[in-house]
Amino acid sequence: MVTKENRGTLSWKKISRFCGEYSFILVFILIFLVYVLTCNGLTWAGMMNIFRHSAIIGIIAIGMGLICLTGEIDLSVGSMLALNAGFAVVIFNMTNSIILTFLFCIVFGGVCGLINGFLVGYIKMPAFIVSLATMLIFRSFAQYFCQKIDKNLLGGGSSVYRMSREMHSYDAMFGFGNGKILTLPIVGIVLILLTLFFVYISTSTKYGKKIYAVGSNAKAAEMSGINVSAMKISVFTITGILVGIGAFLWISMNASADPATTGNSYEMYAIAAVVLGGISMSGGKGKCIGIFFGALSYTIIDKIIVALKMDSLINDAIKGIILILVIMIQIVGPQLKAKFLVKK
Amino acid sequence: MNLLSLKGIVKSFNGVTVLKGVDLNVEKGTVHALLGENGAGKSTLMNVLTGVYTRDKGTMEFDGEIIESISIKQSEQLGIAFVHQELNLFNDLKVYENIFLGKEYVNKFGKLDKKRMIAESRQLFHDLGVDIDPTELADNLTTSQKQLLEISKALFFKAKLLILDEPTTALNTEEIEHLFQIINELKQNGTSFIFISHKMPEIFTLCDRYTIFRNGEFIEEGIIKDITPERVTKLMVGEGYNEKKEVYKPRTVGDVVLRLEDFTGPGFNNVSLEVKKGQVIGLTGLQGAGSSELLQCMFGLVQPTSGFMELYGEKIKEYSIHKIMRKGMAMLPANRKENSVVPDMNLLENMYLSEHTLSAFNPHIYKTREKHKFEYYKKILNIKAQSFNNSILSLSGGNQQKVFIAKWLNTDAEILLFDNPTQGIDVGAKAEIYRLILELANEGKTILINTLEIPEIQKVADYCAVFYEGNLVKILQHNEIDETTVMLYSTNAISNGR
Repeated sequence: MVTKENRGTLSWKKISRFCGEYSFILVFILIFLVYVLTCNGLTWAGMMNIFRHSAIIGIIAIGMGLICLTGEIDLSVGSMLALNAGFAVVIFNMTNSIILTFLFCIVFGGVCGLINGFLVGYIKMPAFIVSLATMLIFRSFAQYFCQKIDKNLLGGGSSVYRMSREMHSYDAMFGFGNGKILTLPIVGIVLILLTLFFVYISTSTKYGKKIYAVGSNAKAAEMSGINVSAMKISVFTITGILVGIGAFLWISMNASADPATTGNSYEMYAIAAVVLGGISMSGGKGKCIGIFFGALSYTIIDKIIVALKMDSLINDAIKGIILILVIMIQIVGPQLKAKFLVKK
Repeated sequence: MNLLSLKGIVKSFNGVTVLKGVDLNVEKGTVHALLGENGAGKSTLMNVLTGVYTRDKGTMEFDGEIIESISIKQSEQLGIAFVHQELNLFNDLKVYENIFLGKEYVNKFGKLDKKRMIAESRQLFHDLGVDIDPTELADNLTTSQKQLLEISKALFFKAKLLILDEPTTALNTEEIEHLFQIINELKQNGTSFIFISHKMPEIFTLCDRYTIFRNGEFIEEGIIKDITPERVTKLMVGEGYNEKKEVYKPRTVGDVVLRLEDFTGPGFNNVSLEVKKGQVIGLTGLQGAGSSELLQCMFGLVQPTSGFMELYGEKIKEYSIHKIMRKGMAMLPANRKENSVVPDMNLLENMYLSEHTLSAFNPHIYKTREKHKFEYYKKILNIKAQSFNNSILSLSGGNQQKVFIAKWLNTDAEILLFDNPTQGIDVGAKAEIYRLILELANEGKTILINTLEIPEIQKVADYCAVFYEGNLVKILQHNEIDETTVMLYSTNAISNGR
């Protein structure tokens, strides 16, 4: 009798712990099931399309996730994407080189991130304010330079940065952004590789553990000999680099970047993916793999709305509601559990 | 007549029973001393009484009323006021705002009636003979003024029972006398007090009755007049009091490894000290006397303003934690929860964190190797934990502290700074930590311990440096260390010709 009860509580404990730690998979499965029910006919191509559309948000969200793990936030990633993508187009039109464009994206993204990181980590300004300001700055630069730069460098566009078709690398570039390997979209593969890389960083390297320590208790981290400022600067810089990679993917997928709309609200989508992925906004808690599922879940919601033939303007409202529900469960769940245990 | 009677109170945290059915009876108009070593359960019981914690078992009667359950707010309404050891004032508010917080006077439009609040505060301070300006910012008060403000605040709202948790630690002799005078007057008017203190002379001048706890158990209650300080100590510490004392053995020491010369920084001035390899040095002084600040500065947490530190004959140029760690120094900071515990990490992760900052050039974590290290330290430090995977929060204070000792031993540090290492640890674990300190010293580690508990220094230190107001006032050799002598120097009751 006693052993039976013990076994019962044990497995129940295991299940509830699993649900607590991997809630993002449950959320993903749930949303995916809704998608399967609504999309009348699940196709491989359809699923790969989700994958393709998750790539950029997913990559940016990895960076956002790292920043959130240290207990900070970066609101500038969307504008940074627009600025980076815009300038990358200009560089492409100037050099006709995919490699140089890619290098530019990474370096420029890194510098943008370093600026945020320096202000937050070294000067110790609140990340919310710093990134709010740089968000305005990056977006404004993207739009301003689009008006001022020589039209030829914009690929002939007027208010859009457009990759010039005359460049002989154009096809290779566009092919990369829209190509597939064994039916898998290349951009999706980039997302998977980056996710795997950062899962390794966050679980099995000293650097990764320090990120968690800084977010969990910055004072204790400092007393353990961790340079908290340097850690913060580094995660912002990494995020900048990831945004750079995102920008490169963006132009290779779209062959253009509109400074007014590219990356609009992406900071919010990235934060949403991070939160759906089970990372705590107060820092120190969460798994990098969760961000991947968070980003996929988020894209699927889009597809569901399209499949239901609902007005696309209602899109964000539904996403918002789902976000609130998920967070509510994450927060109320443990509280209910604690109450239940006390009563018992 | 009993104002308060608590019977059979039981309270446990995470399966550790902290209060094992204790009683406490406080008569009306008396000062009742609640005695026991740190970790005996005094603070826990007071938190149960004031509704911070809910009791698991036991009955509570206050002012003739049986109280089933109590919240912080209810306890306030009943007239129980808790003057905490660490002061709970809002430093950014003014004195009168602190008094009236949550109970502000307003006029009929809902605007704050500042004039009336200031006037009544002034009257209150006048009645109590306390010299505080009600419009001063709380931050600008001295520690003793803050203490008096807390007490005044409780009295203003007609508290029937005041709990004073070590109210005199930050006060000088004159201020203490004044405080006692106020307490005696209030006692005549029928206010009762629970007085928690470690200072025997105070207890015997001020208190009427006593209750002794040991290790979460009720030991004895009675009238102060019928007992002697020696007997109180014996009851508090329990059996094995003498046996524990004999742990210390003189050791052979090596060369000078650490030297401070005119070392000055925030909170301490012109400290000169020489420490030899294998020595255990005790630092002590009242709260804020500078010994804790000195350790923090030595570890690079704050910058010294003048003077220097020498490690192994090499003058330290850059005071940053990481650089100091590379020189072979480690620090177990005070306030474990704030400064040591990384709550979202398990035991293993908490243990390897520091060492990893030193070996960051090899970024990969070899988990098996780390686990072996953990098992090794678990064994030699006798850490009671099921698995390296457990949350650090699931351990008791003593075991947490051992994990952090392991964390620093893991960095191969030769000089260990321990700031208040036994804070919030139960008696058994304390003894173990001190046994560990001696073992480490025998292995050639050099150890500096800052603690306010003199018996602890007595057990382990080769010599003891006593601080008063930022200055190192006296160095006592091992055989000179005893509670009264240290107390005399740390309260500046005798000057040593400086």
